[in-house]
Amino acid sequence: MSDTPDEKAIFEEIASQIAAKAKIDLATIQPESTLKDIGVSSLDAIELLFDIEEHYGITFPDQGPNFGSDTVQQLVDVVKDALAAKAQG
Amino acid sequence: MIKRRIVITGMGAVSPYGVGVAPLWQGLREGRSAIAPLRHPEAARVRMKVAAQLPEDVDLAALMSESMLPLLDRCSQFVVAASNEAVRQCGLDVRAEGDRIGAIIGTGIGGVTSHDEQSKRLYGEGAERMHPLTIVRTMANAPASHVSMTHGLRGPVFTVSSACASANHAVAQALAAIRSGAADVMLTGGTEACLTFGLLKAWDAMRVIADDTCRPFSANRRGLVLGEGAAVFVLEEMEHAKARGATILAELAGAGMSADAGDIVAPSAEGAALSITRALQDAELEAADIGYINAHGTGTLANDATETRAIRLALGTHAQGIPVTSTKSMHGHALGAAGALELAAMVSALNDQFVPPTANFEQADPACDLDIVPNTGRPAKIRAALSNSFAFGGLNAVLAVGQA
Repeated sequence: MSDTPDEKAIFEEIASQIAAKAKIDLATIQPESTLKDIGVSSLDAIELLFDIEEHYGITFPDQGPNFGSDTVQQLVDVVKDALAAKAQG
Repeated sequence: MIKRRIVITGMGAVSPYGVGVAPLWQGLREGRSAIAPLRHPEAARVRMKVAAQLPEDVDLAALMSESMLPLLDRCSQFVVAASNEAVRQCGLDVRAEGDRIGAIIGTGIGGVTSHDEQSKRLYGEGAERMHPLTIVRTMANAPASHVSMTHGLRGPVFTVSSACASANHAVAQALAAIRSGAADVMLTGGTEACLTFGLLKAWDAMRVIADDTCRPFSANRRGLVLGEGAAVFVLEEMEHAKARGATILAELAGAGMSADAGDIVAPSAEGAALSITRALQDAELEAADIGYINAHGTGTLANDATETRAIRLALGTHAQGIPVTSTKSMHGHALGAAGALELAAMVSALNDQFVPPTANFEQADPACDLDIVPNTGRPAKIRAALSNSFAFGGLNAVLAVGQA
């Protein structure tokens, strides 16, 4: 489906949200960065999840990834999966 | 000035085990968890799968006077029922001495059930008007006011709110009120009825709720499980209690309070340790005197590891020899009532010389390496005990009790 964002677009969206949240330069965020490395606090992380859920109209799984230790790429993957699940209805 | 000594001469509880301290303590003693699948009209719309709720067959309305009932939010019903039991047990004609008796009640959120119901009508259903008793049901001081009105208490009466530490802070204030001479007897404790659709969704969003059960100190713990209830205590100046030949359940030896002045949610071992140390100092107890600790033990990754460090910081090498259990594994986390239910557990433990277990334990966690008494309680020699409460917002309050 053409209106489903591709992985690159998801990464860019998430990275820009993280950059805004952590007040850091977007260019420093790499797929392999962990939220903790970037300096996103646990409270900022749950707010970030909320923002991402709202943005894409998705709901993350119950025991989602550990957003303290997982990487930005893992977050992208979870969004990709959630979007795919949503597309299937 | 010589400190006035304070004793506990009555207690009452409403909990997921039903009405009364006896069923609560029996459940905890047996290591029987009251956590069960969530019963709620909107259960299908929340992630939360389990909670520790009052049994379905408890009819609180039957315990209240008919004229009072329309005024009472669920949290006030809980605390009035618990206060009736506590007052009956203490044997004092509190109404006759009402001028010298007050009530300080802790609640994290207050009348949120009434608030939720009326908000649903207004925002959801487009109702034109709110129920006229919405304000008096919802206001946070209502539980304390209803305890005062029910028993004719005309001393210092107010509500204390510090999230999950509300009850311990309330008890600490009641202790201070008697010590200062502002009252001779105080009713105190905590109440919470927080399982509204709005709050369930709000807790969902925080991602700290376990979807299986509450497993404090276990390596595979996945968060807290919400509970509800109330417990109320009659605190009495010791000479006052002795003079009337009252049965003394325990001495409320002291309280310690501190604030982390750090993060709004992440706990601090140093902040928590400070409140434990201050409770010991206030109670004039040594670490070696402590025979049991009722932990805050929420079952979140952060709390249990941080609390373990706090206990070690405050009690040093003695920490290893002290049974430390989280009864939240069984009665759930009743937020502003938690410390009150746990004080009932602690006083019962002291009187029975029996430590209730930490239930639902499965896997040892090196970060929680205290004697947490997994799954099965045991007899123990307890002369004095501590009960920890550490709240969101970094607010800590610890109670110390001693044998009567």
